[in-house]
Amino acid sequence: MGIITTKDLNLYYGDKQAINSINMDIEKNRITALIGPSGCGKTTFLKTLNRMNDTIPNCKITGEVIFDGINIYDNKIDPMLVRKKMGMVFQKPNPFPMSIYDNIAYAPKYHGKKKRELDEIVEKSLKAAALWEEVKDRLKKSALSLSGGQQQRLCIARTIALNPEVILMDEATSALDPISTYKIEDLMGELKKTYTVVIVTHNMQQASRIADRTAFFLLGDLVEYDTTENIFVNPRNQKTLDYVSGHFG
Amino acid sequence: MKTQKVYLYNSIFKAIVFFFALVTVLSVILIGVFMIVNGGPSIAKVGLKDFLLGKVWNSANEPPQYGILAFIVSSFYSTFFTVLIAVPISILVALAIGQLMPKGLGTVIRAIISLLAGIPSVIYGFLGIIFIVPLVQKVFNLSSGLTMFSSVIVLIVMTLPTIISVSETSINAVDKGYMDAAFALGVRKEYALFTIVLPAAKSGIMAAVLLGVGRAIGETMAVMMVAGNIPQMPSMLKPVRFLTTAIVTEMSYATEQTRGVLIGIGLVLFVFIFIINSIFHFFIKKAGAVNG
Amino acid sequence: MANTTYEKRIRPGVIAVRALIYTVTAAVVALVVAIIAFLIVKGLPYINWEFLSKAPSRLDETYGIAPMIINTLYIVLLSLIVSIPLGIGTALYLAEYSKPGKVISAIRFAIEILAGIPSIVYGLFGLAFFINALKAGSSGGSMIAGALTCTLIVLPTMIRTTEEALLQVNPSYREAAFSLGASKLHIIRTVLLPCALPGIVVAIILSIGRIVSESAALLYTAGVDYTMPANLVKHVAEPGAGLTVQLYLYATEGGSPDWVPYAMAAVLMILVFIINLSANIIAGLFKKKVSIN
Repeated sequence: MGIITTKDLNLYYGDKQAINSINMDIEKNRITALIGPSGCGKTTFLKTLNRMNDTIPNCKITGEVIFDGINIYDNKIDPMLVRKKMGMVFQKPNPFPMSIYDNIAYAPKYHGKKKRELDEIVEKSLKAAALWEEVKDRLKKSALSLSGGQQQRLCIARTIALNPEVILMDEATSALDPISTYKIEDLMGELKKTYTVVIVTHNMQQASRIADRTAFFLLGDLVEYDTTENIFVNPRNQKTLDYVSGHFG
Repeated sequence: MKTQKVYLYNSIFKAIVFFFALVTVLSVILIGVFMIVNGGPSIAKVGLKDFLLGKVWNSANEPPQYGILAFIVSSFYSTFFTVLIAVPISILVALAIGQLMPKGLGTVIRAIISLLAGIPSVIYGFLGIIFIVPLVQKVFNLSSGLTMFSSVIVLIVMTLPTIISVSETSINAVDKGYMDAAFALGVRKEYALFTIVLPAAKSGIMAAVLLGVGRAIGETMAVMMVAGNIPQMPSMLKPVRFLTTAIVTEMSYATEQTRGVLIGIGLVLFVFIFIINSIFHFFIKKAGAVNG
Repeated sequence: MANTTYEKRIRPGVIAVRALIYTVTAAVVALVVAIIAFLIVKGLPYINWEFLSKAPSRLDETYGIAPMIINTLYIVLLSLIVSIPLGIGTALYLAEYSKPGKVISAIRFAIEILAGIPSIVYGLFGLAFFINALKAGSSGGSMIAGALTCTLIVLPTMIRTTEEALLQVNPSYREAAFSLGASKLHIIRTVLLPCALPGIVVAIILSIGRIVSESAALLYTAGVDYTMPANLVKHVAEPGAGLTVQLYLYATEGGSPDWVPYAMAAVLMILVFIINLSANIIAGLFKKKVSIN
């Protein structure tokens, strides 16, 4: 069994069903890519994993997401504590309007880390996100002064500072230039040694380059889920083949 | 021929609306010039220093004394305490209706609070006379409840709707992405609102505070009815006279000389408002530059 | 389930913050409701036709408010006659003709200053300019002086609200009309003003509300007279107290039984309520209409 397992997971926006009965096992210390055309439910599915859909009104979820031996949709569960263990990086870089240092230290401070531990956490996280060398001399500068690619790596560092088990990335490179994208893809390869990474991507080359396993979504269904090689070279389902060979999307 | 006519009409219309737009500028200039021309000589006669820093106001004396320091200090004193209390309350209410409550409930409460803004000053003053003045008299065991304290309470209620609505607008305009990021980090809304959203809305909230300051300094009739109106240096539980109420109190029986001095007080108010608005203008521009 | 790491716990901090925010909000709402309910409950029983239709008379011991209603309406109407064209014209200039530059910043800054000037300063100016310098009406104040003073007060509201309405008109209408070769004036007349009409009505209603509640600016410009005007045309040069000013006088100087200020306050509250409500309803409908476009 993987680190995250979904069982018969359904999600409805009002009366409209957005994802249909997903059963999926996400493996530890691997990069799992969720692909599919726009509106296929891949981002929605990603957000069910750390309960980010909770903030959307009229959104109803049935089924289970098992993480760390518990169903995170159980009534007794506090989603904030789950999110601490499952960091998320968004499509648009969204650093807080404060200094680089404070961006990283913000969540650890909130979660009770002592002041003297923070310096170390900031340095470690920025190093892990391959940003330390670029910003170590201007940690007190506003995070908004960074370039888009740097901002996104800062957001990754901010997530790492939580010391999570899983990092969820929602099209984290789609707003970036090719060089920044390359740097982040490179970074993901490093990250999977410590963390489990789940990414949503539009970009099939990206999935084939970096993912260990790939899941193809269509109209809210999980059509096919396999090793990346099988999905791209030898898919079992005709729809997967059509998609990965560029017939629609 | 016809196109020429159309062109002519268009030009005439444009000239007319341009002239109308200029009326606003002309009015401000006219008001400023009139205050200076009518108030300036009187201030000069008293002496600017004796006028602004003189502690004694007695227009009935022979010769009359026209020191308005007590009015200036009283106006600032009341404004300071009004803002001190009204701003935190307003921010909490703005957070409640814009961020924490379900949308429908927020809308209803917003509409209810906006009713406060429409209530005439004299009604606030009237309510002050009926409720606050007797209450203050009783609680503090005073001979009269007409005090600075009563004015501050009335001013707090009167400035709430403005400060709430302007700060709510700026709070709601803060990028929703910050909140998502905070949630994804397992940070609770209550904490993120105070540590991220409020600091991000800082310039808008400053604008709200300045608007509140302008309102509190300029308010006349409501405080006129509850302040006791005695020209002396301010103290919370003493009757006071403000810049605005000084004008109203003496205008009706003012001598020519006093009238000039009262217009001088108006000029001082005008200058204060001018300064506040200039800061406000500057803030909005600066905030716009940062966001853009 | 053995793992309790992720379970909900009672968090005193979160509860305390929420409790504080909701308590303060509830207190403010309760205050508003209490003010409105108190004034209406206390004053409503005294409002009857006699109260609304008669003038106060010491001899007959009646305390009607008809002259004050007439004075308030008089000032509102007179002021609107001037401020509607001025306000809409300025808004049209700002929204349609102006190009960014010094003139525009000066106009916008002037509007901000006008909006910030305290009523009492307007009152002083009105007294010095309209009454003393221009001799507009009697030296004790006049309807025309009061109305012109109020015009200055409502101009910022009128201009801003109208400009907002003009800017909300769907730009494609304008482009379509332009591409058909219509002149700017024609577009303003046939497209912009009709489309922005609800917004302009809101501007007018808000201005009315502002004038109805005004007092400090009117005390010395419109004066204090509670007799019934004999001739409405001549009344333009005569002084007269509106509802707010008369309420102020009754509340501070007495001269009436206790119930009179309550009844006047209730009348004012009902008026303000109606004005607010209609502005909100029209603005709401306008927003819907614009968003469908």
